[in-house]
Amino acid sequence: MLEKLETLRHEAEADLAGITDMEALQKVKHDWLSKNGKLTDILKAIPTLPAEQRRPFGIGANEIKTMLTEKLASLEEVFIDQAGSGIKLDLTIPGFDITQGGLHPTRQMRDDLNQAFMSLGFEIYHGAHISTEQTAFDNLNFKPDHPARETMDTYWIAGTEDKSADERYCLRPHLTGASVDYLKEHGAPARFVYPGMVYRNESTDPGHERAFYQYEALIVEKDFSFSSGRLLIDTILERVFGKPIETRMRAGFFPFVEPGFEIDMRCQVCGGKGCGVCKYVGWIEIMPGGVPHPNVLLAAGLDPMEWSGFYINIGLDRLVMMRYGIDDVRLFHSADLRFLGQFK
Amino acid sequence: MKVSLNWIKEFVDLPTDLSIQQLAYDLTMRTVEVEGFEDLGASLDKIVVAKIESVEPHPQADRLRVVKVDAGEDELCQVVCGGSNLEVGQMVVLAKPGSYVRWHGEGEPVEIKASKLRGVPSAGMICASAEIGMEELFPAKEEAEIVDLAGYDATPGQPVSKLVGRDDIIFEIDNKSITNRPDLWGHYGIARELAAIYDLPLKPLPEFKEQLPAGISVEIEDDSRCARYAALSIEGIVNKPSPIWMRERLASLDVRPINLMVDITNYVMLCVGEPTHAFDAAHVEGGIVVRRAEAGEKLTLLNDEVVELCDSDLLIADKVKALALAGVMGGKLDSVLDDTQAVILEVANFDAIGTRRTATRLGVRTESSSRFEKALDTQRVDQALGMTVALLKELMPEARFTGFTDVIKKETQALLVPVGKDYLEKRLGSTLEVDEVQALLGRLGFEVTFADGVFTCHVPSWRATGDVSLPADILEEVARIRGYESFEFKPPVVALEKALHQPRVNMSQAIARVLSERLGMQEIFTYPWVEDRYLEAAGIETEGLLKLATPPSPEQAHLRPSLVPGLIDAVQLNQHHFETFKVFEQGVVFHGLHDQRNYLAFALAGEDAEKLLLEAKGVLQGLPRLVQCEPFDFVSDKVPGWAEPGLCLNLRNKDGVFGVMGALSVRAKRLAAIKRLNVVIVELNMDALVPLPSRDNVYQALPVYPLVAKDLSVILDDQVTWARVEALVRPMVRDLAYLTEFRGGNVPEGKRSLSFRVWLGSNEGTMTAVDIDKRMVAITRRLEKELGGTVPDGK
Repeated sequence: MLEKLETLRHEAEADLAGITDMEALQKVKHDWLSKNGKLTDILKAIPTLPAEQRRPFGIGANEIKTMLTEKLASLEEVFIDQAGSGIKLDLTIPGFDITQGGLHPTRQMRDDLNQAFMSLGFEIYHGAHISTEQTAFDNLNFKPDHPARETMDTYWIAGTEDKSADERYCLRPHLTGASVDYLKEHGAPARFVYPGMVYRNESTDPGHERAFYQYEALIVEKDFSFSSGRLLIDTILERVFGKPIETRMRAGFFPFVEPGFEIDMRCQVCGGKGCGVCKYVGWIEIMPGGVPHPNVLLAAGLDPMEWSGFYINIGLDRLVMMRYGIDDVRLFHSADLRFLGQFK
Repeated sequence: MKVSLNWIKEFVDLPTDLSIQQLAYDLTMRTVEVEGFEDLGASLDKIVVAKIESVEPHPQADRLRVVKVDAGEDELCQVVCGGSNLEVGQMVVLAKPGSYVRWHGEGEPVEIKASKLRGVPSAGMICASAEIGMEELFPAKEEAEIVDLAGYDATPGQPVSKLVGRDDIIFEIDNKSITNRPDLWGHYGIARELAAIYDLPLKPLPEFKEQLPAGISVEIEDDSRCARYAALSIEGIVNKPSPIWMRERLASLDVRPINLMVDITNYVMLCVGEPTHAFDAAHVEGGIVVRRAEAGEKLTLLNDEVVELCDSDLLIADKVKALALAGVMGGKLDSVLDDTQAVILEVANFDAIGTRRTATRLGVRTESSSRFEKALDTQRVDQALGMTVALLKELMPEARFTGFTDVIKKETQALLVPVGKDYLEKRLGSTLEVDEVQALLGRLGFEVTFADGVFTCHVPSWRATGDVSLPADILEEVARIRGYESFEFKPPVVALEKALHQPRVNMSQAIARVLSERLGMQEIFTYPWVEDRYLEAAGIETEGLLKLATPPSPEQAHLRPSLVPGLIDAVQLNQHHFETFKVFEQGVVFHGLHDQRNYLAFALAGEDAEKLLLEAKGVLQGLPRLVQCEPFDFVSDKVPGWAEPGLCLNLRNKDGVFGVMGALSVRAKRLAAIKRLNVVIVELNMDALVPLPSRDNVYQALPVYPLVAKDLSVILDDQVTWARVEALVRPMVRDLAYLTEFRGGNVPEGKRSLSFRVWLGSNEGTMTAVDIDKRMVAITRRLEKELGGTVPDGK
């Protein structure tokens, strides 16, 4: 009888060895362990055996059962793992569109600059969009009929347009007037940036807008030498272009400053060798700057013999246009999502 | 403005090794922006004077000749030519091989090559004037006529550019960069700058030294507008063209040569920057009167335009009539014509503001007005007189100076500006030598004395009309002539103070980031002025809104009191391209001259209005946590003109209502031409949001025993809101979440089924099925009793 067990064990091992897939596994399981399986039959026959044979036979048969059960279970796991989820997908199909928003490209540039200046201890200032002739012009070394007033054709508020000075209101044509307000309020020394929209009554074309974004930065310190003003320029350009940019300051006229500079940067297209973009001079004019004009400091209640500083004013729209190669400034106010959606 | 290098060289001997590029660079860095330059001579390279030695017929062509010319070389040169006026001994223009000409004066320049014409070798071309761009200098009577240089002092081999004075370099200067520099609106001023930059002597201008009897009477009625008026009477005027060099120079500076007398006035202006004007003496009756125009007075200008004047315009008149618009343009009547025999030459000083006003108002901007409006000094009148007389003596010896009247009402005052040496050094960040400063400013015409640490600077008259008056102006002069690039960069000294804390700035930025980066909205910028039709769509009364005096267009006059009209506009625009989109704007709105507010608004556009409303509400619910501001509630308060009543909620915090969300009404959509889309808009006053100084939420311990989630549906009357259900159930559970609502099916008319999930828990241990059942039954009972609900599978 025990020989019969040996034969069974060999048979079981042979059957196990012959399993190659789940189907075969199920068959072996069925053949051996089901109600009418071979092993079940054997186990059922135990009570009919002579008493002394029952125990060794039972142990042997159970060993075979354990072996079969364990082997089959582990083989089953292997087959299940191998079969995987059964999902079939063409992974060349595009992924789902995730609804993405985005910040306005000009705001992105503004935030970049804000961050750079905040790290240098500059405060971010926002003033009123409605200003007066007093604040925007009279205080700032813009005499009545100053030719420069003409370059800043202003949107006057109806009902006040025929008045003058602090009774004549306008949408601010520049930011500098409110810079004076800041200085009046906070005193000196001061270092702050003042980003914001300004408004000019102009006809529009791809290069001109009625509402455009300026970024003004101002340091007021005692006996500040103008060459230190480079800090402002270098900070802005490094942030915008991601690397140090060579600049030069040259003589320039701007009514808020004295001395005034035009600030040029090395043409990034040709590296300074000369190309169509820089009109073959190797430099590109990017912003005016300079030392706050004594009259501006006076307007802020500061003694120009004591206080000095540095001021720059840059057209953010233009920098953004340079960054992305945008050829029409009017797109910034278009609210056209086909345009704005490109700057996520 | 164009500047001739040859002219500059008449006043200053520039270094011989100075390249044009370097000169342009130095002028740009120190004085004015040179936008570019043009080498006029370059186009006439290898084009020389030649003398015709023989003219023979061409063996193969009737209309061609074989010409031998002397071009200043060892051997004669043979050229085949079709010129109609060839003669032996004639001085002509020869384009040698390698030069460029324009065939028949048209098209791009073509290179001349040695070749054979009908079998005869030809080593160049004898040119007609149009072929070398000299139609004005040598007008041709017919196309085949070649340039005949008879009468010119020409020698064979001489470059033609030299002969006519076209060997010049013309600089283009950016006018914007000299608006503050009246002295630079003439060549002499630019020469003075270059002399200062290179530390070279500046040659003097001819002086006016004529001793003359009193001339025509001059009366200045308004001396606030005319500080000086000099009138020089000249007789024996000969009407003839100017010499080639003057015509060539004027033409290269974009001034059309007319006749000698007129050309001299222009030449003087381009040289010293002082506009002058010649009146035909025959048309001036009784004397010159400088007076204000009468309102409505009319004047025919030189360009035939008739202008109507107002009483702020200044006129040059005689005793009888108006002659010219002072400082702007001469009149038709007084102009110098072919038969003019005597002129009154006006050299005057008109004020900047008045000239500019008149020129601007009438839209007549001239070379003259653009100079006067920069504010000229009265002393410059003398320079113009000296120069004019010198030129007339040289070029029109027949002319006689018969009288001179000079009325000076107010001379440009000398200015003294004291500047501390210490001030200069600190601001420049560099030590200075007294000699250096004196020499440097001296080169620009400043006389500078030094005592007790202070430079006293005498500002020359040509810089004293507003340009230089302050220590900072002197600082600029020193710095720029020394060269800005010569000052080293010194990093500013930073005082470490307390860190900046700008919670409102941070919050506003956080809002933009959350909306765009987390919630999928696109930021837009719109104009502060809004179109009336969008105001109407938004239900906003235009009465009382701020208005622009001269708006971009009549229907865009009002300043926005809300961002909603702009958003509606944006939705209207984008509906053609997208089926669903979300936009937001942060911007200022105007509620009065002194009431500007910072608003936030967003619009969600898509198909399902209910979904959009709940999405908008979800955004608002999450906002305080996401951007760190104090929380707010939803209440029903005021419905704005654009929202549909019943689909609108207001936002309120402890200071009151500060915002609104709602569905855009059918009316608003119709007025704004929004077709298919449903739109939900939120607008709030960001100034009313209170940023938290720091994060304020407090940690909550995790439950010790697991919570059990159970879902429940209850059928209620439509009028019973979720808020009431929530208020009832929340105190009975650990947490509660709305799932969905359902109408129809087994749910009776007028009722709905609300489903929600509750989380139950206990601090004593894991809940048993019995505990859970008990709690759910309790909830069900209260829903039935207090809200009249039925729970279909409730026990």
